[in-house]
Amino acid sequence: MSATDPILRLESVSKHFGGLRVIEDLTLAVRRGVRTALIGPNGAGKTTVFNLITGVFPVDAGRILLDGIDITDTPSRLRIGHGIARSFQNIRLMPHLSTLENVMVGQHCRNRGMRGVLQPVNLVPRNRWREAARAALADAALIQYERSTVGNLPYGVQKRIELVRALMAQPRVLLLDEPAAGLNPAETEALQAQLETSCAGGGVTVLVVEHDMHFVGALCEDVIVLDFGRKIAEGSPEDIRHNPLVQETYLGAPAAEPMERQNARGA
Amino acid sequence: MLGSIYAMVAVALTLSIGVLRFLNFSIPGLFMIGGMTAWASLRSGMAWPLAIGVALVAGAFASLVVERFTWRWMRSAQHFVPLVSSMAFLLLFEHLAVIYWGSELRTLPALFASADWRIAGLVISLPQLAGLVCSIALIWVLTLVLARTRLGRGLRTIAEDSDTALLLGIDINRIVPVVFLISGLFAALSGVIFALNYRQVHPFMGEVVGLKGISAMIVGGLGNIWGSIAGGLIIGLVEVMSIGYLGADFVDIAVYGLLLLILFVRPTGLFAGALAGQRA
Amino acid sequence: MSGYLEGVLVLLAVNVVFAYGGFLPLAAGQLNLGLAGFAAIGAYASAYLSNVFKLAPLLAIPLAGIVAGAVALVVAVPVLRTRGIYLALATFALGQIVQAIILNLEVVGGAAGYPVAAFIRLPTIAATAAIVVVLVWLLFATRFGIAVTAVHDDEGAADLMGIDVRGFQIAAFALGSAIAGVGGGLYAHHFSFIEAQYFNISLSITIVLYVLLGGTQTVIGPLLGAAVFTLLPELLRASANLRYVAFAAAVIVIMALRPEGLVTAGQLRRLLGFTRAEHAAAGLPTERTG
Repeated sequence: MSATDPILRLESVSKHFGGLRVIEDLTLAVRRGVRTALIGPNGAGKTTVFNLITGVFPVDAGRILLDGIDITDTPSRLRIGHGIARSFQNIRLMPHLSTLENVMVGQHCRNRGMRGVLQPVNLVPRNRWREAARAALADAALIQYERSTVGNLPYGVQKRIELVRALMAQPRVLLLDEPAAGLNPAETEALQAQLETSCAGGGVTVLVVEHDMHFVGALCEDVIVLDFGRKIAEGSPEDIRHNPLVQETYLGAPAAEPMERQNARGA
Repeated sequence: MLGSIYAMVAVALTLSIGVLRFLNFSIPGLFMIGGMTAWASLRSGMAWPLAIGVALVAGAFASLVVERFTWRWMRSAQHFVPLVSSMAFLLLFEHLAVIYWGSELRTLPALFASADWRIAGLVISLPQLAGLVCSIALIWVLTLVLARTRLGRGLRTIAEDSDTALLLGIDINRIVPVVFLISGLFAALSGVIFALNYRQVHPFMGEVVGLKGISAMIVGGLGNIWGSIAGGLIIGLVEVMSIGYLGADFVDIAVYGLLLLILFVRPTGLFAGALAGQRA
Repeated sequence: MSGYLEGVLVLLAVNVVFAYGGFLPLAAGQLNLGLAGFAAIGAYASAYLSNVFKLAPLLAIPLAGIVAGAVALVVAVPVLRTRGIYLALATFALGQIVQAIILNLEVVGGAAGYPVAAFIRLPTIAATAAIVVVLVWLLFATRFGIAVTAVHDDEGAADLMGIDVRGFQIAAFALGSAIAGVGGGLYAHHFSFIEAQYFNISLSITIVLYVLLGGTQTVIGPLLGAAVFTLLPELLRASANLRYVAFAAAVIVIMALRPEGLVTAGQLRRLLGFTRAEHAAAGLPTERTG
């Protein structure tokens, strides 16, 4: 593990909803170009961390720094322009847009201002933004769905489309909320391949919230463990797998989980 | 006087919004049905108690028709559908009335002309007093029902959380028609009271009063029965004052201006608070 | 061309313009129940300009549209801070206020109505309507269309994707109001007489309903809705009131069975290029879906 500087840092971040303290004095760092996983039992606050990073909720205390820039008070709408893109736990594609148009939504942050808004993307046949989006879909082997109504597509396909949409923003940090949930083994492998090719060369740093430890182990180099809104451990997947504190948190060894899942999938 | 009519219409609307989260645009239409049916019945020679009864039945029936076609079929569909359908029902009722009764202004006979009272320099006629007493009594009864009876509790629970209501075994399918029934009756009755007091009806009468009723509801706070009552009275007051100070022409501007102001400054209304949170 | 046919086509053109006035905010997920008020602003402003300043209608009408749009812009900021039902109610109050103010403006006739001297005929009106349709179509073929639909579908996700939700809502609201104003101007200069009583809540409701009837998912929907609303009753020789009854009944039925309206985005895409063969090749269902 080389010592790379952190591209994303949370410093003593706290968040409570009413009396419920969801995130408690959380400090973590995601290193540049290092594929990192954020794991923890349900209710540990993982999605809340994502929501804080993307600005859906304001923090109650602490700071968030992206590549050294303090974005704690930046409005949510502007954070994607700073380089943070995300996917959602419960797919949030736009049902009234085609697949291609959904992906083009991801380009919006790079296409701002009056000129950007008035780009005739759906009018001129060889518009470069449209072509760029088509190319991205082709790279992800999804081009055959470009005109489909997203709501009719298989779940796994929708998830991968959402990933392409996030990547179109050319982010520096990509937050993926349970990208493998609900996918069958073939789809999971396709997702993994897509992530590896898209993020090769360290251009994009990936932070993944996941329950599928098998996926985490195959994809990620760094793992951060959360429980009750606090960081309780971090290290490589191997380290985490053997960490007694983590095992205790999950009420049973994490290694048992992927085993059960493998059996369930008949792998 | 008008204030209490607005209040009743507002209550009818509030019930819908509070319990069903449904802005029922057909209520001004039900108001009109109440008023015009009363007129038509009187014209055909019925005694006034019967005429009122017929009007109420007509209003209730129309309300249930609305329920069947806006609510029943569409609970799972997109959220704006019931609102849109209720707007269509308003148009439907209005134009059916024109087809059936013609679009002219119709007058009612003066039923209680000799029974005027003088109190502190004000002339109060029997219909006015009856209307006022009626409105207040019914609203009071409604609040009692909401607070004390099983039905009322069921309504308040649904207002608060329809999922919990289902879990608690409250049969939404049976209660929803009741809501429509009550709000329909309130709307129709306020139409009757208006007709008997102002002695004028026409197919589009619902629009003027119904819209003020909507305003009263907003001013008082959506989903809040006491608020709607207060809202109705406030609107009535604003109207009287603006006639006095600004002239009759500016009444509407004053009322809707107040409405807009409230929506900008305090959209939840002056007395915000869910239906469920109100004590009788 | 007979006077009757010309009358119907004029009405169709005006309704089409109104329809696109209603379509713009609906496409961004908002209900503008004050649409008639902005139509009234356009009607009265254009009439005033052509009556008093002797401007040619072709100049007065677009100017009036801009006025309506400007008014909408000014009120949009506070009005659009409200959401959902409150927004519908605020726009409704707005429409009522406009109507009430006009009723009191003696300079344009007040309650007695306002005669309009200049007169325009079907070709001009039809051309204006066509221009409006084309402009809206062009607008929605740009990133604006994608952004507005994104705002309509999921404000939260759109915001996180960097789309200025409030900005697009305001733009759609103001543009729709401007278009409604143009419609009002066309109406004023053909029917030669306007009165505030015409621009009431019923008009707003009717416009919204036929836009929803046609479907708000595509740019063609409003055109279809206006056409069905205007032409079908003519074909059936319905009286004025029966037309509304039938229309209202149709809306109720359609909202029950097919709330997305007559034309949906998916259908249009299928029509335009994604054939069944490709569908089958991709292993996707070939039967019609919403």
